[in-house]
Amino acid sequence: MEVSGLPLSASQRAKLASAGYTTLSSLSSISSQHLARDLNVSNEEALQILNVVMRTGRFSDLAGASIVAGAQSAWDMLLEEEHNKHITTSCGDLDKILGGGISCKEVTEIGGIPGIGKTQLGIQLAINVQIPFDYGGLGGKAIYIDTEGSFMAERVFQVAEGCIEDMLKLNVSQLKDLETLKEKMHPNTFLANIFYFRACSYTEQIAVINHLEKFVSEHKDVRIVVIDSVTFHFRQDFEDMALRTRLLSGMASKLMKLAKQFSLAVVILNQVTMKFIDGSFQLTLALGDSWSHACTNRVILYWNGNERHAYIDKSPSLRSQSAPYAVTSKGIRDVVSNCKRIRMM
Amino acid sequence: MPALNGLEQEEVTAAPDSNFQRFCAAHGILSVEDFLLHDVYALVALAEREVNSEELKQGINQVLAFIDTQHKPWLNGLELLEDARQNKHLLPTGCQGLDLLLKGGLLEGQLTELVGASSCGKTQICLLAASNVTYKHMSSVVYLDTCNSFSPKRVAYFIGVLNPTLKQVRCGILERIMANILCKSVFNIFELFDTLDQLQTKLRDQARSSDHKVRLLVIDSISSVIAPILGGNMAYGRSLMISAGFLLKRIAYEHNLSVLVILVSSAYKELINKCIGGCLDENVAACVVTNHMVGGNVGSLKPALGESWKGVAHTRLLLSRVNRTNKCSISVLKHPSMARGNSVDFLIPEENF
Repeated sequence: MEVSGLPLSASQRAKLASAGYTTLSSLSSISSQHLARDLNVSNEEALQILNVVMRTGRFSDLAGASIVAGAQSAWDMLLEEEHNKHITTSCGDLDKILGGGISCKEVTEIGGIPGIGKTQLGIQLAINVQIPFDYGGLGGKAIYIDTEGSFMAERVFQVAEGCIEDMLKLNVSQLKDLETLKEKMHPNTFLANIFYFRACSYTEQIAVINHLEKFVSEHKDVRIVVIDSVTFHFRQDFEDMALRTRLLSGMASKLMKLAKQFSLAVVILNQVTMKFIDGSFQLTLALGDSWSHACTNRVILYWNGNERHAYIDKSPSLRSQSAPYAVTSKGIRDVVSNCKRIRMM
Repeated sequence: MPALNGLEQEEVTAAPDSNFQRFCAAHGILSVEDFLLHDVYALVALAEREVNSEELKQGINQVLAFIDTQHKPWLNGLELLEDARQNKHLLPTGCQGLDLLLKGGLLEGQLTELVGASSCGKTQICLLAASNVTYKHMSSVVYLDTCNSFSPKRVAYFIGVLNPTLKQVRCGILERIMANILCKSVFNIFELFDTLDQLQTKLRDQARSSDHKVRLLVIDSISSVIAPILGGNMAYGRSLMISAGFLLKRIAYEHNLSVLVILVSSAYKELINKCIGGCLDENVAACVVTNHMVGGNVGSLKPALGESWKGVAHTRLLLSRVNRTNKCSISVLKHPSMARGNSVDFLIPEENF
């Protein structure tokens, strides 16, 4: 392997090249003092370079018998996936088309016109991820990255109350001391377990996302990252579109890595835009075609008459289909015909 | 290429001595690469001015001899044809439409690129091809995933379609088949280089051990790792992209390399193949890369990564999907032996396992 394929800084690469170190094998059996002398750098820097070299798969002990170190067979992945829990959306129909809810280790993009309930769904997921194991949940915590300022604590409190109410209703028969449990599951606990970041510019947004890896490794019980919305700062004041594409695709890779590494769900909320397709304007998600590849699953929310519907637009494992859902005072719920009427009046 | 002072480790019998190395270093030559870039005649002239000119000239000859051992021996057309017939098979993808279009499947030793808009079935074809190759050929597949979209459930489903009896008995057979698909997540270009480097080393070793050969390498999708480093004045990003492309081609072609060096070995393998039923083959395989479509001129889409990537893949196929149905159509954008524009329609199976 060439040295150019190593994650080193441009100056370090140049120094290595001018000292004749172009291949990985030329660096394999060399002491840091020797390298420091040849490159005319400090011993620390030479050590740092050698560390990068030693971290590559060629020298790691992990490689072993497997063809690619760190690879997993499809069978192992299948077994793992079967034990994987999904984060429920609190709407049975929606869970059904999602194969049980939002899945961990994947990046799910949710988009729709303003007022369709994107933020509501985001909040609902941040609450639902905390449903304890005993109640069929993940018992995790949530990170909420807010770029639009639409996160309302009062509303979150309401949704948490609704969630607790539903949980207790389901399990009321088998529980003796309802009171102690009620105390344990106070909406305040739910609110305390949401880590909220406010990003006021695209640089802040990127900084937060870069910081996430460190943050999550310190808070291992985080199971969902919601970004509401990824679009906002990237839709305004952006002259250099090539830069935008580069930043967005870099961000997408980081989120993918985060999802896989810590087996958590990443939910990205996106806005819609008009696009000229086949002679007419149609609604599509914002940020363009290159961004459209950045997610594992994509769900589009839309109005169907007076009913809200969700449609699976992209997924490697789910069929494209749609399901109705409702936004109630308690949060996202199944569509009940009455409920719709009430909302209309 | 190694550094001059590393030639001893490269198993060169007559390595240049330290005097020669000092002489070269004085003229800014530190590696064999630098030596190649230098004018040999000028170097000889310089050497003659030194005290120990004879010794130095001998050193130059030694390096030249080393360089001579580095190039690959030539082949004539007949040998190439024989190699192609013997080792470059067509790997059926299991997608009937695609196999029909490609007259049998993906060609081993070559890079095939699938291009298409978001959610048009690129990943589905990759998963289907991976399932088919492991099931039908009992060989391994290496799947590099950059967008968390490898779905083991889908693979199990596709294998279930190939052999319905496996659906009921979720026993050892399915396990053995699926254990042959190795999936690795790759999130940046450096991880990709690292993984490919390892793969290359292991595949060289694999020529000796003879269990399941890797016949298919899938990268889904390459543009996700390359897009973040492209653009602006980042010439480095472009060079990484091109070297990634050529590394892939080389890995795909590597198989050819082992045949070139020892033609006898090929015949030997054939003998073993006959003994054990003939389904084993040598190294690699076809290589599939998926690529994205990005916005082009007014409303039209074009493949990502631009003009310089265009030349990398041997075959480039364009995939498109009829709006919100499972009807797909695939057409040839580039192929070494086929007219551009041939196309075929097919369906992506919908129901789940």
